[in-house]
Amino acid sequence: MGNKSLGQITQEITSPLYQRPKFWWLVGLGISSLMMLLGFWAIYVTISTGIGTWGVNNTVGWGWAIINFVWWIGIGHAGTAFSIFLLILRQEWRSSINRAAEAMTVVAVGCAAIFPALHMGRIWDAFFIFPYPNTRGPLWVNYNSPLFWDFIAITAYLLISASFWFLGMIPDFATIRDTSKSKVKRAVYGFFAMGWRGSVGEWKRYEGLAFVLGGIAAVLVVSVHSIVATDFAVSVEPGWHTTLFPPYFVVGAIFSGFAMVMTLVVIIRKLYKLNDFITDQHLDNVAKILIFISLIMGTAYLTEIFIAWYSANEYEMFTFFRNRITGEYTFQFWAMFICNAVIPQLMWFKKIRKNVTMLFIISLLINLGMWFERFNIVITSLAKDYLPSAWVSYSPTFVEVSVFIGTIGIFIFGVLLFFKYIPMIAIHEVKMMNKYKKNKDQ
Amino acid sequence: MTEDKQHIIAVFNEEEPLLKAFRELKKQQVDMADVFTPFPIHEVLESHGRKSRIITVSWFFGLFAALGVLAFLYYTAVIDWPLNYGGKPSSAFPSFIVVTIILTIFSVTILSLFTFSARAKLWPNVDKPIYHEGATDGDFVILFEKEKVDEEKLRKLLKELGAVEIIEK
Repeated sequence: MGNKSLGQITQEITSPLYQRPKFWWLVGLGISSLMMLLGFWAIYVTISTGIGTWGVNNTVGWGWAIINFVWWIGIGHAGTAFSIFLLILRQEWRSSINRAAEAMTVVAVGCAAIFPALHMGRIWDAFFIFPYPNTRGPLWVNYNSPLFWDFIAITAYLLISASFWFLGMIPDFATIRDTSKSKVKRAVYGFFAMGWRGSVGEWKRYEGLAFVLGGIAAVLVVSVHSIVATDFAVSVEPGWHTTLFPPYFVVGAIFSGFAMVMTLVVIIRKLYKLNDFITDQHLDNVAKILIFISLIMGTAYLTEIFIAWYSANEYEMFTFFRNRITGEYTFQFWAMFICNAVIPQLMWFKKIRKNVTMLFIISLLINLGMWFERFNIVITSLAKDYLPSAWVSYSPTFVEVSVFIGTIGIFIFGVLLFFKYIPMIAIHEVKMMNKYKKNKDQ
Repeated sequence: MTEDKQHIIAVFNEEEPLLKAFRELKKQQVDMADVFTPFPIHEVLESHGRKSRIITVSWFFGLFAALGVLAFLYYTAVIDWPLNYGGKPSSAFPSFIVVTIILTIFSVTILSLFTFSARAKLWPNVDKPIYHEGATDGDFVILFEKEKVDEEKLRKLLKELGAVEIIEK
């Protein structure tokens, strides 16, 4: 990258914008549209008929909806984590990846928000959760409830990750406005560039605001998933009622998010030939972070099991030893353990870190493993708790699965639009990095 | 916009000559109206114009938001309509903390964004002249107002300092 001129950088990064849509892109758009259609049908059925169309019941009140909600929110965490923590740690290599990570965040958090909204049941009464002066008392909301915390946390997270993402794109939109030859592109990107010219006053305030948003978003990343964890931890269920949950959830979220970043970055690099910007070194760095987080995950799993034994609480013992490690949900437990704690250890080998296909497969397996982790947490604890007469098994219905497929469709659709219409790498940040590299070389 | 040309624009194609020129012009006390660059150059940002106060302003937004949210929670949960949730106290500060943190972050974001938009004059369809299009791509541009500079002297100086193009606009 070091010897590219600034004009070349602009041209190479924005080139997908000017190419005609590729065949695979259109196919992807078609498939994701079909998935979305199925999802919308399922959402329609859920709203018009009710939650009875799902497999949830009195004992297992939280099914796939909550698993998928936590899964998507977790994936959504990487974008902000990537931008902020690597910014704080002054990891310059983040510049090539943060735009894609933030795009992923916004779409994933949007997908996540669908589930709790549907799970409310009567979605037309969803506004009851706002603390607004009403004619019912006024009956205000319960500020002690993590479910209310969850609602404001997700709303705030969606807004802040979207504005942080958009802020980073303003100078790049201006670049497109000024370099494009198409009148339509000039008008559209010009609208979103909001008159950016790169003047001293603009850059000063831009940097100030980025600093402010970055700083508070760092707090938000940690707090949002901690709040999701308290949804579980405050309820007196075996396997949930533990102080380990908030850090365990935050680390798990960043783990799945970084894995998804890896998946996306490998795809972008391959399809758009951006090897000069997203180098092997970038993938190597992400892989090393994944190994580290995988070790934390493994420790967390073992800690949970140890504490269950050490507490000598028979319900905890039952949940962990008879209902997870052995018993009805063995597959989900071991899938989680192997995908998250064992397989990523392969990346200790340099050969594997250099092999892009292996990295891609491992990143997909981590995401699968993280899905199983949420299944493991949500379902096993609920299905068999204190009262054996209330024990049931849970399996999802077609409608429930369809909603999930629909959100995957939304995610793919959103990411494909991002590939085509937004510069995938932060142009101005890469230009700045380019300069520093040049200075170092001299 | 008026047709008569009121500005002189010096274009540099690299960062180093721009910085050199910027330092020299500062030394000779030539009045520079603005500098346009494709990425932030901190030396220029620090020595041209006033410091941005957006960080301080945001801090105060945060302070007032936090107090406001706490007051709102106290009013609704304790004064206006206290509810009994399993015998827990209505005025429970620990359970207000999370909501306060998140809503403070929320308010700071929105207020800072609008402040940024207003102060940096960035909003859709804003009427601002774009002096040189290359400034968002690969060119580094210094803008002068004709009234405030000695034109002939400046042109000579700029040529010496390595400006690749001098445009009137």
